[in-house]
Parts: sequence; structure tokens; C-alpha cells
Amino acid sequence: MEKKSQQNYSLVFYVVFCSLVFILAGCSGMEKQESGGGATDNNVTLAFPWSPTSLDPHGIDSWEIMRSGTGETLVKLNEDLEPTPWLAKAWKQENETTWVFQLEESVSFHNGKAMNAASVIESLKRSLEKDQKAIDLLQVESMEPLSENELKIVTKQPNAALIAHLADPSTIIVDVSTIEDKNNYPALTGAFQFKQFNKDESLVVERYKDYWGEKAILSEITIKFIPDGNTRLMALQSGDVDAATDISIDNIPILEKDEKFAVLTAESLRTHMLLFNMRSPLFKDIALRKVIDQSIPRENIVQSIMLEQGTEAKSPFPEILPFGKVLENAPNETIEQLMTQEGWEKNSDEMWQKEGKPFEVNLLTFPQRPELTVMAEIIQSELLNEGIKANISQVENIDEALANDEWDLSMYSMLTAHTGDPQYFLNIFYQSDSESNVSYYDSPTIDGMIDELNRTSESAKRNQLALKIQEVIHTDLPQSFIVHPKTVFAVRKEVKGFTPHPIEYYYIHSKIDVNE
Amino acid sequence: MIRFCLERLAQLIIVFFFVTTLTFLLLRLAPGDPAYILLTTHDVPASEEALNALRKELGLAESLWSQYFQWITDAFTWQWGTSYVSKELVVEELFRRIPATIELATAGLVVMIAVTLIMGISTAIYSHGLLNQVGKLMALLGSSIPTFWLGFLLIYFFSVQYGWLPSMGRGTVKHLFLPAITLGLGLGSMYARVLRTNMLEVMNQPFIKAAMARGLSKKRIFIFQVFKHAFLPVVTMLGTSFAFMLGGSIIVEEIFSWPGLGKYIVEAINMRDYPVIQGYVMLTTFIFVAIHNVVDMIYVWLDPRLRVS
Repeated sequence: MEKKSQQNYSLVFYVVFCSLVFILAGCSGMEKQESGGGATDNNVTLAFPWSPTSLDPHGIDSWEIMRSGTGETLVKLNEDLEPTPWLAKAWKQENETTWVFQLEESVSFHNGKAMNAASVIESLKRSLEKDQKAIDLLQVESMEPLSENELKIVTKQPNAALIAHLADPSTIIVDVSTIEDKNNYPALTGAFQFKQFNKDESLVVERYKDYWGEKAILSEITIKFIPDGNTRLMALQSGDVDAATDISIDNIPILEKDEKFAVLTAESLRTHMLLFNMRSPLFKDIALRKVIDQSIPRENIVQSIMLEQGTEAKSPFPEILPFGKVLENAPNETIEQLMTQEGWEKNSDEMWQKEGKPFEVNLLTFPQRPELTVMAEIIQSELLNEGIKANISQVENIDEALANDEWDLSMYSMLTAHTGDPQYFLNIFYQSDSESNVSYYDSPTIDGMIDELNRTSESAKRNQLALKIQEVIHTDLPQSFIVHPKTVFAVRKEVKGFTPHPIEYYYIHSKIDVNE
Repeated sequence: MIRFCLERLAQLIIVFFFVTTLTFLLLRLAPGDPAYILLTTHDVPASEEALNALRKELGLAESLWSQYFQWITDAFTWQWGTSYVSKELVVEELFRRIPATIELATAGLVVMIAVTLIMGISTAIYSHGLLNQVGKLMALLGSSIPTFWLGFLLIYFFSVQYGWLPSMGRGTVKHLFLPAITLGLGLGSMYARVLRTNMLEVMNQPFIKAAMARGLSKKRIFIFQVFKHAFLPVVTMLGTSFAFMLGGSIIVEEIFSWPGLGKYIVEAINMRDYPVIQGYVMLTTFIFVAIHNVVDMIYVWLDPRLRVS
């Protein structure tokens, strides 16, 4: 009897549960739109790991929108990472804080409306309202139209990096009136326009027929959002997509063996580094920072961990940048000399100790970039060979862990010049009072030099200043720079014109084509 | 009966209160600053001004009590707040993804039931043959093969090697095959063993012998006596599995880029999108508690003895 009642209970539970779930599903409505279909001969499908939460070009999704080939900014960075005209065809600096921009005349938004100085100002104002980063980058005091295609921007203080910063995706130009329109997608100015957006799944963009520049060869591009690296690789191998970005370096040999694919790499503007906690009793002193720096096997890391897909780092900025070519002087003293000068001596286990205390440090790493943990292990092994014990701790949230003082060393990774200019990174990462100065590096000299950089507008002088700042950083060693990794892409050989660019948001452009 | 319903309703409110409070506190205790994570999504450092402005905008600068009061008020008025990331209503964000999850869970359930029935019944009938050994092996593999590995294995064979099925995404029925098999195969193999054992047990019951003695056909006995009795306990297990699948099959959705609740909640956790996580917990709590209470009520209604007790 009891067993029978249990069986009935199960049935009732199951029926009620299913009913409730289906009612719930019915209420939610089927908002997913059918995928576009209609794939033409000149359609390409790409796999990106990132997906926008909306098509609003201002705010958190600005990079993803820029990556879709639909958005444009006033300025574009070329392959040498120099600012070049885009929606603004020319500009001049009138005084320290005033800039005048000449706009391209034949530009229209995707809804057909002509772009002019007033609409550009409206768009930039919205960027500033929606994104604090845009405020930090542009430092705008006021903007005004001078004529139909001419506008003036006045900055709060001298901001020599304004031109480069206008290439940041947070400043994409949009017809502001279309953002809140629920029936249409936002009207931007790029070679492609939005055709269909399936949240979490895909974004289809199509050729904009009235594009002001060189019209797109492809009629349509489908971007599939595949966050998992292995799934992205298999989607490429199975032919579900024609190209994929951010391929894991472990998968390069697999793709290189297959003649259907071409593996492309691009120098990135990212730097993997080792942070010193300048408040740690051990690393307040420069000598021990030098010891750790000299122990890092950079060449070995590039060969064995990065599989040659990276370059040894000497400074925060990669060498492809004009201010990234820092000359490195060979160290004057050996590790042995540095340690003995500081009063350290080796014990019977060949480990360094001072006043009976061993040289023991804790080294933080985090799982989001697995290669950093492997690097930490290699550094740990090298330090052990030198007589220094490093204890590795993996933390879930590295920035949270860095905010307290209980660490000595930490692996870290940053995009250091995402607009091709050093100013933003140096201000945020090295100014003594900045919250993102994670090494607690306090240098009045550096603060002064960064202030000078902010005021200097001439390009050559700025590069010189940035190099000088890096020389001081190199001397003070708040961080040890390890490697500049490359970004890896893979494409089917039929896809032409998919040229890797150091800037991560210029992947889609009008010249991409596909051979039948 | 009315008293019983009121008691259950009171219980629902209490459970709801504790779950919402616990979720709120655990999220705040967990490491990670949503403002920092949001602003450094592309690994570009953020300024102090930007961080403070965003913390203020998200309400994170307010005291914990104030945040809690706001949350509890929202929770009981069915206002689940706005996602930190998309700036859209959490209710809309969650409900938009429910159809995809239900689609996958239902397909997974169909695979699970098919595997359970085919393997369970055939191995019960041929309980000492080769088929039984195959069933045992499959049950062992089903319980020991990790879902992600099975998923990649299926993609490799059916998409990469032979190109029969799409490797990822949602759209056509073809897109459903691989994720549904990944979801249903393992559990189906295990439940098949349970069904087989139950059927063998039932076959030895006196009422089956009595049915045979009465001259009923083997087929009739098998379908209407043995299977009917043996399958009911399996239904509960299938139902529980289905309920869990509806919460979002996190690994399968991630591997196959399936745009459902599971994939979404992983992204929300990574971004520390508190309103979404809290809303998700509320939704699943509500479904489970409500179903249990409705079932209890129906049960009391069906069985008068329970009303007395």
C-alpha cells in the first residue's frame, strides 16, 4: 500500500512539475528570431568568443560593436598604430586645449540620415554620459559645431592623446535618435549594418550599400558567439564557421597540419608581467626586486609556454609601438652579489637566509589566464634553483587579492596601449594616487613625468617622454615584464583579406572576401 | 484543507525569505567587485573616478543594510531589478532564455527515456546474455564519463569527422541532436539499470506468478503488470533529472554554445551580476517549492488519510 502511494506521488509530482514548466515557457514568449538563412555565395561566418549584451555602441558593448564592422570612430589606428583619419578627414590643434575637426562630407548613417557636426557632437555627448572611460580618455570641457562638417572640441586640461583616444570604441559615432528605437537597430556609419541580432547566439551584418568609403565585398557576415575555445576550434574544423579568433596556442599544430586552414598571428598590445608589492617588507628594497627580475627565464617562457607566439618583454609596451623600443642594459651585478650586499647568506640547504629567516615569498596567480599559472610555476622553479622559495597561491579574483597587502609577487596581464598611445595606461597604472596602481608604486618623479606627457602634444616628444618614463620604471622595477603574447586566428584558406591587426577591434572590414 | 493550504503558503514564504537572504549574503561575501570586473572586461585598467561612478550607479556604494532592504522589497514585490551588464530587467533576461533551456531539457529527457526503456527492458528480458553485459558496460560508462568529454567526443565524430550534424548553436532539429544525446545518454544508461533491477524484482512477485497461473499472455503480463510496476519509481528519478536540467545544463550549454539559462548564469557569475544571480536563485526556488507544495496539496486531496494525520 505504501509503495503504491509513493508511486502515485511520483506521478503527480511529475505531471504537476511539467505542467508548471510549460505554462512558464508559454508565458515567456518565443522571442528568439529565426536565423537569417538565405546564405549567399559571398557570405562568411566568423566565430568570436565575445558576445554583446545589446547593440548600443556606447558602454560595455562598444568593443563588440566595433568588432562587427558596423561602427566607426573619428580616428582610426593603422597597422603601425598611428592615428589616421576616418570619419574625421583632418584635424588641427588651435591651442593647448582646443582642437578643430574636419568631418568627411559624404557620410550617412545606416538609416540614410547624413552625418554632420551636430550629430557627431550629439553622439560624443552620449558617449560621455554613458561611459566614464570616455570621460577619462577625452577630458572634454565643451564641444560646438563650427559649420556643417566642422566641429571644435575643448578639453578641460591639455590632452595631447585626444586624437589617439578618439579611436577608442567608446566614441563610436551613432545617430543617437535610433538608439531607443525598439523597431530598428542603431544606425551607425560602418561598411556593414546590423541585419539580425540573436542575443547570446549570433549577429548578422550586411553590406551597407550607401557606405561612404570602399564598399564591402561580402554581402553578409555572420558572427557566431562561441565562448569555449575547444568548441570554437571544432566549429572551424567542422566547417560551421570560416574563421575563428583567439585560438589557443596548444591548438596551432593541429590546424597547421590541416591544409584547409591558415593560422595567422598578430602582435598584441598585451603584456604579461610579474608585479612586486612595494609595501611588502621584502620588496620595499630594489635589490631583491632585481634578484627576482634576473631570475625570470623569459626566453624559456617564450619558447616552451608561448610556443614562440610571443616576444620577450622589456617594458610595459610592445616593441611594435614607437615608444616600446626600450634599450635594456645588462645587469651590473649578479644575483649572488646583490644578495650578499644586502646581508643575505646561503644556509646548508643552499637557500638564502638573513638573520635566520629564509628568503620565502608568496606568488599569486589566477585561473582566467591559464598560461600565467604555468609561467608562475617556471619562475618558482628558477627561484628555487637560485635559493629562493616561492609559494604559489591561485586566487579566483586577482584584483580583489591585490587590494590587500598580504602578497609579495603576482602574475598579471594588461592591455597597455589599446589606443596606440601610452598616456591612459601610464596615468592609470603608475600615478601614485591611482586605484589601479596595483604595485603601490609611489614615485614623484614618475608622477611629474606623466603630467608632462599629458601636456606634450608633439608626437616625437611624447614618444621620447614615454621612453624616459619607461627607463625610470625599468630602474625602479615596480614590475618585471615577461612576455608580449600574440593573438592567434585561424581561417579557412578560401577566406581572403582577414588580416590580423594588433588592435583587437578591427577584425571585420570591407576587404574581406571569400574564394569559391 | 484550507488550513493545510495556508500552512503550506506560510512555509513557502519562510523558505523564500531564507533563500533570498542567504543568496544576498553569500553573494556579498564572495570575492569580486562587480564594478571593477565590468570596467576591466577588456583588460584595460579603469580609473578611480570610473570605478566610483559605476559603484554609485549600481547601488554598491550604499550600506549593506540599505542594499538588503532594497533587495528584499524587490523580491517580495516580484521586481527582480536590472542586470548590471545588460541594463535590462532581470525578469526579461531570464524568461527570454527559458524556451531554449526547456527545448534542450525536453530533448535530453526524450533521449533519457528512450535509452532507459530500450536498454532497461531488453536487458531485463535477456538478463543473462551479451546484451546485459553491454547494458552494464554502458551504465558504467554513463556514470563515469564526464559530460564535457562526451560532448566533445560527439562533436568530433559527428561534426568534425563526418559533418553530419552541426557542432554548436541552436536553430534546427539537427542542432538538438548532439546536446540532447550528451545530456540524456549517461543518465539514461544508469536509469536503465534501475529499471532492469525493478523489473526483475517484480517478475518474482507472487501476483505475477498468479497472473501466469491464470493463463494471461506473457506479453500482457509484461506490459500491464511488470513494466507498469517497475517503471513508476524510475519516473520520479526522470522527473528530478528533468527539474535539474530546467535549471540550465551548464556544461552542455557551454560546450554547444546553447543560449539557455545555464550558459547565462555562468556569465552572470563571472561578471558578478548580482541581480541576475539572485533572480535565478529566486526563480528556481519558486519552481521547486511551488511544485512540492502543489503536489503535497493534491496528494492530501487524493488521500483522505493524510488529511486526518
